[in-house]
Amino acid sequence: MAEERNIAREFEVLNKYGIHARPAALLVKAAGKFECDIFIGRKGDEVSAKSIMGLLTIEGHQGARLIVRAVGIDAEAALLEISALFENKFFEE
Amino acid sequence: MAITLKDLLETGVERLSLELMWGEGYLDREIEEKALNRPGLALTGFFQYFAQRRLQVFGLAEFTYLKSLSSEERAARLREMFEKNIPGVIISRNRNPLPEIRALAEEYKTPLFRTTMITSHFINECTLILEELTAPRARIQGTMLEIMGIGVLLQGQAGIGKSETALSLIGRGYSLVADDVTEMVRAGGRVMAFAHELTRYHIEIRGVGIVHVPSLYGVSAIRRDAMLDIVINLHPYKNDAEEERTGIQPGNIEVLGIKFPYYALPVSPGRDMANIVEATALNYKLKLLGHDAAKELDEKVIGTFLRKVGK
Repeated sequence: MAEERNIAREFEVLNKYGIHARPAALLVKAAGKFECDIFIGRKGDEVSAKSIMGLLTIEGHQGARLIVRAVGIDAEAALLEISALFENKFFEE
Repeated sequence: MAITLKDLLETGVERLSLELMWGEGYLDREIEEKALNRPGLALTGFFQYFAQRRLQVFGLAEFTYLKSLSSEERAARLREMFEKNIPGVIISRNRNPLPEIRALAEEYKTPLFRTTMITSHFINECTLILEELTAPRARIQGTMLEIMGIGVLLQGQAGIGKSETALSLIGRGYSLVADDVTEMVRAGGRVMAFAHELTRYHIEIRGVGIVHVPSLYGVSAIRRDAMLDIVINLHPYKNDAEEERTGIQPGNIEVLGIKFPYYALPVSPGRDMANIVEATALNYKLKLLGHDAAKELDEKVIGTFLRKVGK
């Protein structure tokens, strides 16, 4: 059986409009593909990355530094996919 | 779609009080141009531009003018018109055709009709009927409902629960238009949906069989037809399916050449589909009223973020 992993990484929100509805939907879709639990937020204040409404409340404006934490057997793959979204500015300006 | 004089007569007997005076054997002729022509100008002898592929309507003006001509002129002008192989002649205001018209109709095998209507009313109504008869139509797999004025076509594979969802919505007070197979016809820029006459107002529920909706739920549970507004597709829940999560940019689907908003709703145990279909229709209605909740929330979120970073 694969090992249960609990890993975290910090990201900066780069796109101008931050994590509004469209980027939130991208995150939810990406997160939904994985078995592991994924959380996004700040220390002591995180929400599930599989919840649109949750993501809108974390105030991911441009420049915000957010911690993404993944817990489960496919945590590494999940983090990789999510980091691609942050790095590509959620395909926005 | 090609229609014949016979098609027009069948519909027109009632709605146009149309009567065939001559030409029983020549009704298979197609109406090539779905418009009517008043041949006043042609009767004055001007044939350079004459809408000869259209049905020719003789009203009071044409009759009065013809009567002002000498009998030779009258016969010559009318003959010139019939020689153009016009599809048919309609006489309004229930007048008797002039003997020349009658004779020429027979000579040129041109069906001759009469209506009791006055010319302008006849032209309006007949144009509408020609549009209806030639409108693009299709039989589409799907259950049609009317939810608070919104026409909803429910699609999805057999057994997904379209009829059961429809029954649930009927229970909530909405109306059934057609179960499982819906007839669609273009009406101007819109699409009208209705049921096939034979199966109309019936619904098939697995395990129960065919039920007659108005007998069970009353006449308010049915509608003869409804204009299509949105298309909803029910599909089995799959984790990786691309489904709408924000509702800011719904997809669309073409029906008879017109685009309609399209919503793919995943079905899984415990999801009350009737409830979700109802919410989809009502949310669409809200958008029509100028209130797009998803977009407004997004704008609010973006506004808050921009203020935070001082932009």
